[in-house]
Amino acid sequence: MSEQVEIQPTTRHEGHGKLVLYVDDEGYVERAFYLNTSAIRGFEAMAKGRPAEFVQVAVMRICGICQATHGTASAEAFERAMGIEPPRDGRLLRELCALGNRIQSHVLHQLLVLDDFVEEEKEKVEAIKRIQQIRKIGQYVVDVVGGEGIHPPNIRIGGMAENISESARKRLYRRLREARELMEEQHEFMREIVERFAEENDLDLDEFGRHDQPFMATHPTYGDPERLDLDRVVEVLPIEYYGEEHKEEAYEHNGQIPLYDGVPVEVGPRSRYVVFDGVDPRGVLYIHILRSQETLAAIDRCLNILEELNTSGKTLAEWEPRAGTGVGVHEAPRGTNVHIATVNEKGIVEDYRIIAASTWNFPVVEKAIEGEHQEYAEVIMRCYDI
Amino acid sequence: MVRLAYVQLAGCCGCLVSLADTYERLLDILDEVELVYCQTLMDEREIPECDVAVVEGAVCLNHEECVEVARGLEEKADTIVALGACAATGNFMRYSRGNEQSAPTHEAFVPLTEVVDVDYAIPGCPPAPEAIERFLTLLLEGKTDLLEPFAKLAEGKTEYCGCDLMYHVVNKNMCMGCGTCAAACPTRAIEIVDGRPVVNEDRCIKCGACFTQCPRTIWPGDDAIKELVMGGEEE
Amino acid sequence: MSELKEIMVKGDEGLLGEHLGVFTARSTERRILRVTQDGGIVSSIMVYGLEEGKFDGVIAAVADPDDPEEPWKPRPVVITDPDEVLEAAGTKYTYCPNVSVLKEAVRSHGCERVAMVGTPCQVRAVRKAQLLPVGMRHVPDKIELLIGIICMENFPYEGLKTMVEQLCGVWMREVAKMDIGKGKFWVYTDDGEVKSIPIDETHPFEGEPCHVCTDYCAELSDLTAGSVGSPDGWSTVIVRTEKALELLEEMVEQGLLEVKSIEEVKPGLGLVEKLAQAKKNKNQKEIEERKELGLPEPGKVHEQL
Ligand SMILES: Cc1cc2nc3c(=O)[nH]c(=O)nc-3n(C[C@H](O)[C@H](O)[C@H](O)COP(=O)(O)OP(=O)(O)OC[C@H]3O[C@@H](n4cnc5c(N)ncnc54)[C@H](O)[C@@H]3O)c2cc1C
Ligand code: SF4
Ligand code: SF4
Ligand code: SF4
Ligand code: SF4
Repeated sequence: MSEQVEIQPTTRHEGHGKLVLYVDDEGYVERAFYLNTSAIRGFEAMAKGRPAEFVQVAVMRICGICQATHGTASAEAFERAMGIEPPRDGRLLRELCALGNRIQSHVLHQLLVLDDFVEEEKEKVEAIKRIQQIRKIGQYVVDVVGGEGIHPPNIRIGGMAENISESARKRLYRRLREARELMEEQHEFMREIVERFAEENDLDLDEFGRHDQPFMATHPTYGDPERLDLDRVVEVLPIEYYGEEHKEEAYEHNGQIPLYDGVPVEVGPRSRYVVFDGVDPRGVLYIHILRSQETLAAIDRCLNILEELNTSGKTLAEWEPRAGTGVGVHEAPRGTNVHIATVNEKGIVEDYRIIAASTWNFPVVEKAIEGEHQEYAEVIMRCYDI
Repeated sequence: MVRLAYVQLAGCCGCLVSLADTYERLLDILDEVELVYCQTLMDEREIPECDVAVVEGAVCLNHEECVEVARGLEEKADTIVALGACAATGNFMRYSRGNEQSAPTHEAFVPLTEVVDVDYAIPGCPPAPEAIERFLTLLLEGKTDLLEPFAKLAEGKTEYCGCDLMYHVVNKNMCMGCGTCAAACPTRAIEIVDGRPVVNEDRCIKCGACFTQCPRTIWPGDDAIKELVMGGEEE
Repeated sequence: MSELKEIMVKGDEGLLGEHLGVFTARSTERRILRVTQDGGIVSSIMVYGLEEGKFDGVIAAVADPDDPEEPWKPRPVVITDPDEVLEAAGTKYTYCPNVSVLKEAVRSHGCERVAMVGTPCQVRAVRKAQLLPVGMRHVPDKIELLIGIICMENFPYEGLKTMVEQLCGVWMREVAKMDIGKGKFWVYTDDGEVKSIPIDETHPFEGEPCHVCTDYCAELSDLTAGSVGSPDGWSTVIVRTEKALELLEEMVEQGLLEVKSIEEVKPGLGLVEKLAQAKKNKNQKEIEERKELGLPEPGKVHEQL
């Protein structure tokens, strides 16, 4: 006979969530529901009838941790809808801006999960200090390139509002080199604490939190709509996904559930490594290590971009509104973020759809929790940076 | 020690990130207060009684829990602070109007200042880290006279947005074209043309940063500046 | 005691704002004096600060007298190269939103130690931005020096144009320099012509928002420079903070500035105080009159909402 356990609200992540677990006598989870209980602010509905420019500014406010990805995906969607081609340097700066955000978001997540792995106060404080130093540099990139570290206004439909000065370029380069050193240390630290946790709790790193869902990613550092076949994506209502017998849970879940080929797919750092590097680490704790590794890769790509960038190049294309539909895809820190915009000939939005990165992972979290002991439910959930 | 709860309603977490963007000083700030609740940072699942509740996000009147949490604050906290435009003045949430497929009835989003008695409101989307730090320091030091402007803003009379800047500064012959509003605007909606602001309504999200930052709307007093800015702190 | 400390005197702080001392000065460099408004104090400090790495960016107002559309219309710029400072020298008697590029300086220019020159109202704006930086993420601690310029009033661009073109009879693009002093508004042309009108005739063109301003000497600056009180080609300098004093002492030591006691020169500090008092009286009266009409006081707008 299985018992029902509720954890609400789930903590140390963005937004509001609830876990409903059906567990067996020994506490192992037979069925898990991970429900989004946040109020739905209605960005898609808000967009309708509003000018494209407003919508691109507003949707960044979906998430204050990874705003750059929403700003970017939205700008990309509008550009495709209206046939706008951002200049090369604008495109590079946009990638740089979002990677700065990826750096800060990834290590912020590492700060949030610290309590799962570290007990000793001194070790924790040291880690927090290091994380804050890295975050500071990530945010510096977004501040300088994006105009504001939180909700960067320089990301525009058509490119980026401004280029950066040559001295800013040099400064960014220097700071990112510092970040790289700190991140190497942090990467080592993440590996250590994850391995220690597995050992202390007698968990098999390769098996713990394993699921058999497919992985999806479109680009290692930016986003590529060509690699996302929207005909294979459906968004279903929770009631369709969970079925009548779980309608209580279904009605508590605010949001739709995106499926690829009819099944949930994992997105995020691990998916990007699976798709682009051909690795296949199945244990869920590996996500922490890969996220860390991906932060290093993000720093390297930032350095590359700074080498490629022409600081006197044009960054913003001029554009006239035109009717059309466009898809913008950007790889958020948490995974594939999709915005789809339809505008009329005046540039007014007629339809707007968002498949935010973390929504893909909600049903995957459930699969990862199932089979494990209930005491680890939140630990597993937090591997995903929901 | 002051017991502080950080409460998140319908917001984006950006205000909390802004607080975290005090970087190395974050730990010092957290040393000065006892953080008793913050869903994003710690495992406490229930808002306890506290001295100060700092609240981020708007109140969704169609979301039972959201309303309950908001209403419960008056009981639980001595001082309520609306941090960021969503909680303070409404922000772009003023444009919400429901009909989203996944929760079609979530329609009415209002700032906290419309739901409970808020003591201080800090506009901005998000307010700058340095502003949050300054506010908390002044609050902890009991320098409430300096917080008077924020108390006034908590009355939530208007959004203090780009329109208010036009109505109450430019239209009243008071704008001398310094350009501060343009620099403060987080969406870069303001351009100074012929010495006066022009607000691009397509970019304005009603965050209130321009109005609050304008030197002509709210003047904190020369003495405070001499003491806290010119008096050595930065030197 | 440094040469500067020896000659500095103090004036009425109620009128000039708190200060460490006042003196008269001018740059020792001809290339600077040739283009600056008065003693070239502002420009010298900017050049020196940038060259010595004390600042990595300065904010000033640049105008193009030959602009075909709007000659002499100033725009704020972020300058990082000391060689470019002099392009911004000289007074433009119309509003220039210097504070609007403050964020740009610390963002896309990546500056960490910014100096800004501004009218008293602009200095106030930046100080407030440091005290309550609601919309000024990571800006407050990047402000290294605030240089104030004494200011009695300012003019909307079209007002200035009318004064120059209609009243003085000179095309804007022919103007080499404008100045206010000795009771007159002066226009110097490129071919050496000098035109002037009594200051009374400029009053109708003054910006209305200046009439609620009671700060003449940029009371919250690190240091203030103005023409009043000192002879032609010299500037009156009011030093307020230790930081500014040290900088000026260094410049004097290195022979970049020539300094004199303001007590040795005419018309002297008395005139600065007199005009400061006049501005305060006149504009305080205006504020009171506006209150009677139900108009808000500056700095208290939110109280009326
Ligand atoms: C509108 C206005 C009114 C003034 N009224 C008086 C007065 O009543 N009495 C008095 O003694 N002095 C007044 N001054 C100051 C005076 O004209 C000189 O600027 C001052 O003496 C400094 O001289 P300097 O040779 O050191 O300056 P410079 O080395 O020539 O440098 C002047 C600096 O001011 C900047 N600047 C020029 N115009 C503006 C503007 N409109 N807004 C912001 N920055 C600007 C320039 O970019 C430059 O960097 C006024 C200045 C202005 C702009
Ligand atoms: S005010 Fe801005 S940053 Fe704060 S919660 Fe609202 S949208 Fe997010
Ligand atoms: S103009 Fe800018 S600062 Fe002012 S309310 Fe609108 S978005 Fe905010
Ligand atoms: S901040 Fe105020 S005074 Fe300055 S330009 Fe804007 S509206 Fe005018
Ligand atoms: S008179 Fe006052 S408001 Fe006018 S420009 Fe000068 S300092 Fe600014």
